Amino acid sequence: MEYIESYFKGNNTAEQKLRFENKILNDAGFADEVAFYISANGVMTQELYEEKKQRFREMYESHKVVAMKPRVRSLWKYMAAASVILAAFLLTWFLSVDSSSPHQLADKYVQQNLTTLNVTMGNGDSLQTGIRLFNSGKLNEALSVFETLEKSDASNSEATKYAGIVSLRLHNYDKAIKYFSLLEANTALYSNPGKFYKAIALLERNSEGDKEQAKQLLQEVVDKDLEGKSEAEKWLKNF
Amino acid sequence: MESKVTLLTDDEMIGVIKENKLAKRQTETQLFNQYSYLIKEGMSKYSLEEEDAFTAYSDTILQSLDNIADSIFEKRSSLKTYLYKIFNNKCVDLIRKKTTNKRSIYQTAPISEMMDMISDQAKNVIQQLIEKNDFDLLRRRLNELGENCRKLLLFFADGYTDKEIAAFLEYKTADVVKTSRLRCMEKLRGLYIKNKG
Repeated sequence: MEYIESYFKGNNTAEQKLRFENKILNDAGFADEVAFYISANGVMTQELYEEKKQRFREMYESHKVVAMKPRVRSLWKYMAAASVILAAFLLTWFLSVDSSSPHQLADKYVQQNLTTLNVTMGNGDSLQTGIRLFNSGKLNEALSVFETLEKSDASNSEATKYAGIVSLRLHNYDKAIKYFSLLEANTALYSNPGKFYKAIALLERNSEGDKEQAKQLLQEVVDKDLEGKSEAEKWLKNF
Repeated sequence: MESKVTLLTDDEMIGVIKENKLAKRQTETQLFNQYSYLIKEGMSKYSLEEEDAFTAYSDTILQSLDNIADSIFEKRSSLKTYLYKIFNNKCVDLIRKKTTNKRSIYQTAPISEMMDMISDQAKNVIQQLIEKNDFDLLRRRLNELGENCRKLLLFFADGYTDKEIAAFLEYKTADVVKTSRLRCMEKLRGLYIKNKG
């Protein structure tokens, strides 16, 4: 396979090229291997395009992009501003009267808040690699990066948190609950969303007893003024 | 938790795409987002359905990325003009092909590129063998290969060097990547032959 790959990299001399092509003509097994190599590359490239298109689709769907055209006329700016204010007003109104079930609220929260993670360009450490993979939709790859980090350094609360978030996005709720429990137990953090995220994972899993446990956790988030308090207050009204 | 991304200029984006730096994927994202208003334009100018306009636009981005990486895009126009031109052609192609297979406007060319490297006589032999290959089966076996192998092969197919893959996936050296990658290809072939036979 290495011999075939080196041929297609185009680094061969005319003599090497001739030898390669003669081998195709005289060795059926080798010709078959070359045909496989080319076919596999075609399939892999096609697969890659499909993945990229899927990533583009997810971005497009999540943004439902409004035109980013430059030099918009001032009138449009005012109309856009008015629309934003109106949308904000409607959203506030909608949220204040939201009658969704706790499970739906958790689901909505994940869709709205846990699909993109903060990333700083130029930072090359593993955490950033994981975040980039996550943001580009490579969830399984991101999880393996965060899990490796978490295993090598149990005190890396960011890795634990992200491993939980990715598991949540992958609908692996048992795993998400495991990571958020670890995060929750970390008392050294100034700000710890562990309890709140664990409640979300429980609501998403929705097994017997999960809803009650989530309610208890949300109540603790409110009582102890922890991260996620404002959502927890609203959600508790819907239990 | 929205991402804070510094927008690159056209020249910076072209540099990243051509040199396969680790920020390539992020650059692809920026390129897609930056001109995605063309989707709306495709809908109004060519009366396309949103789904069709999206397909034409994503195919435009994929072709542009390849053309930039292969230096086919020579910067004779701005990136915006270049994309606009490709997009318009894609929309027209799509309207023409709408009754047939509208999802395959952008046919990838890795097979023909490789075939072009082989002289005619050997090419005929390979061509006949390729036609006998079952691409659907091959695709299924690729997806059953295991995440690590699949990742290695797809990164390589995306134009990353072994050195870049080593940095990205945290392998010790480029040689380790190469050995693992070639093993994965052998494994894929083994799976494919086993199931084909």
